[in-house]
Amino acid sequence: MPSVQDSNTEASVAPDTPSHLLLAFLQSQSQNTLTRLYQRPSSCLSIFRLLGPLERQIVMNLLWLESAIPASTMAAWVSHEVRKSYENSLSILSRLHVLPQSTVKLALNPTFKTSLRHAIVGGGSSGSFGVPATRDEKHSPPSIEVLDSYALERWETILHYMVSSGTATRPSQGVLFLLQRSGLMASVHGGSLQITSLGFQFLLHSPHAQLWELLLQYLHMAEERQMDLVEVLSFLFMLSTMELGREYSVEHLSPTQTAMLEDLRDYGIIWQRRATSKRFCPTRLATTLTSSSPPLPAAGGVSAGAQNRGFIILETNYRLYAYTDNPLQTAVLNLFVTLKSRYPNLVVGAITRESVKKALANGITADQIISYLTTHAHPQMRKNKPLLPVTVQDQIRLWELEKNRMKSQEGYLYTAFASQADYEYVLNYAKQLGVVLWESSARRCFFGTLEGHPNIRGFIERRTAGNA
Amino acid sequence: MDKASHLGVVLDLSPKQWHLAAQPSNPHPVTLSVFLSHLLAFLNAHIACKDENSLALFGALPGRSAMLYSSTMPVNEEEIEPADANSYRPFKVMDSAIMKHIAEEIEALGEAETEEPIGFVGALTKAMCYINRVTNGAGSTSSAARNDDPAGLADPRILVISVSPDQSSSYIPVMNSIFSAQKLKVTIDVCKIFGGESVFLQQAAHLTGGSYIDIDRPDAVLQYLMMSFLPPPGLRQLMSVPTQDKIDFRAACFCHKNIVDIGFVCSVCLSIFCQPVPVCSTCRTKFPIKTLQRLNASRPNAAPGTPARAATPARAATPAAPANSLPRSTSINPHAVPRNASNGSIGAASPPMHMNGGPR
Repeated sequence: MPSVQDSNTEASVAPDTPSHLLLAFLQSQSQNTLTRLYQRPSSCLSIFRLLGPLERQIVMNLLWLESAIPASTMAAWVSHEVRKSYENSLSILSRLHVLPQSTVKLALNPTFKTSLRHAIVGGGSSGSFGVPATRDEKHSPPSIEVLDSYALERWETILHYMVSSGTATRPSQGVLFLLQRSGLMASVHGGSLQITSLGFQFLLHSPHAQLWELLLQYLHMAEERQMDLVEVLSFLFMLSTMELGREYSVEHLSPTQTAMLEDLRDYGIIWQRRATSKRFCPTRLATTLTSSSPPLPAAGGVSAGAQNRGFIILETNYRLYAYTDNPLQTAVLNLFVTLKSRYPNLVVGAITRESVKKALANGITADQIISYLTTHAHPQMRKNKPLLPVTVQDQIRLWELEKNRMKSQEGYLYTAFASQADYEYVLNYAKQLGVVLWESSARRCFFGTLEGHPNIRGFIERRTAGNA
Repeated sequence: MDKASHLGVVLDLSPKQWHLAAQPSNPHPVTLSVFLSHLLAFLNAHIACKDENSLALFGALPGRSAMLYSSTMPVNEEEIEPADANSYRPFKVMDSAIMKHIAEEIEALGEAETEEPIGFVGALTKAMCYINRVTNGAGSTSSAARNDDPAGLADPRILVISVSPDQSSSYIPVMNSIFSAQKLKVTIDVCKIFGGESVFLQQAAHLTGGSYIDIDRPDAVLQYLMMSFLPPPGLRQLMSVPTQDKIDFRAACFCHKNIVDIGFVCSVCLSIFCQPVPVCSTCRTKFPIKTLQRLNASRPNAAPGTPARAATPARAATPAAPANSLPRSTSINPHAVPRNASNGSIGAASPPMHMNGGPR
């Protein structure tokens, strides 16, 4: 699982890596699957939005052309210095089968072209943007606040369960299974689920990245459950183009998609009045899937608003004040902060060597801690330049280096050689193989790697056999 | 790099010019309705690129200007046809709002009004005010928006769609708008559909780093829009966009609002005149009579009898110099200009110093 994906937003073009987790997944799919997916305008629009800016412009340049244009004509538009990232963009597009592989002529995949045109100018009869439900006489559609607090409650239940290592309210079986499958939590000795080091790293990601990581895992699972991937993906994309606060009818969904409703309800991505209801509402988690606006809204009163604004103040003396009453945020902070006292809206703690070492032992990196502190910094902190005190940042990094001081390697210790000559003879052989990690001729022993052991062992056995 | 961008569009809705543009005698006639369908596709594409992209559309009508659409406009649910499964709802809402407002504005035009000059400057200024509000003013109303994006909106830009020829009377307001745009770091792009070259708009695009494109085939305008005006300025460093090879730097004189090849510039406030004047009408500086005579004599086919007699020689004032004595250059320093702008006592910004259009 890739680490913090926000690092990709920098202008530097990482070679050959698409800017979004999902694109990598789509690239691994067959052309047939993708072409079926491209039949839906909503999928095309969502995939288009996930592309990087340069890829988007290339698609747009080609979208309204009826015939293929020579690749050289297009390349003439690209300034010389960025030729490399241009070619990288072309290869991303061709691996997505948006641009058929060709070196001479450029033209969009006809299916993709038709669907994206339909998405932009309207028309077509695919019904891929969701069929709105007719007005319900008995109930008015849920307000946006209701949807937001529902999504927030569901999402925090999952995260809180992870952070508490199975003592908080349990989410549904489906969620538990997904957490286990994705390796974010693991069952220890067949007992309750415990958070893994991957899980700790996951907690420090942005909600947007977390959501996509889980959904990606869901897609992998869907493949194994023999669900039709095209149906699953196009339902997700359909959700992402739906309107917040509008009810949609379930009648036009395929059986696969109807089955997905239950899973997505558990994640807080969609809302239904009852499990058997004939209508559903996407929540903000769903409608922001392909945008970069915050998926968890400023709802649920003060606490959630504070979450969006940032709530952490970090001082040069390593003391940390977090203006929050959210148990989840407190629990996440507890991963790398020694909490000292807690007030109704404020948690006070300090970053200490022990607390950071504990976090490092859990597999969290110094960079993740620093990026978490940066993204959740209080508006007051934003006036500082640099944002976080340099002393604290450096110290956290130093503590990480300290951990890396020791390197462990498995191997075998060879001792009790009969004579110095024996010892040197075997040592020489081991040195020729290049498997000696440490030696001490005074104590007549040396330490070899695991890989070298069969050879050395065989050598000693042959030698003792020869002597005997 | 991948930040939301704001696009302001100034749409020229002069009924007379659109009527002329649609005449079948043109090599490539284009009607307003055809053009609008292209424009809507372009605007949808802008929103399609990124969910957070914002848009504001301003119409320049005869004698006035109006906001036709903005992303922050409240949506009136009843007016829009119910959602259907085949279209992306934000596009549909936007398109119907734009078409409705344009129709309303054109309906409201009276017979007499159609002859009035087009309210282009008003629309341009409103577009700039809107950008100023969303970049700076938004902080006070929604602190969350500012937090997400401390630098405000990344590269806001304005696209001017013009079908009318220049009105020389609006030279000073257009120039002032350009300087405000420079200050706000707004790029002005110009898409000229009909109505000949526009000197002022060329300068606007050049001075703000935008591109000015005179469209040869208005029936294929969508492709022009997509390739040249869709990429935000940040992306244009990667995908180059056509720029002008020659720019008409001529200015309009302050006295008769004529576009002049050779102008006379007040040495104090840099006001431009089409003929030597004894007293600068802007800053009241008086020029020595001697220089006036010399300047009059040096003019090509100078009209005799310039009212030089009224001038009282003033020692402090330096004479107005003919602008064509300056070296010919095709580029001007945009930074040098706004600095001088504060000198104009009536708030008239100074135009660029070079007015030598030369034989064109």
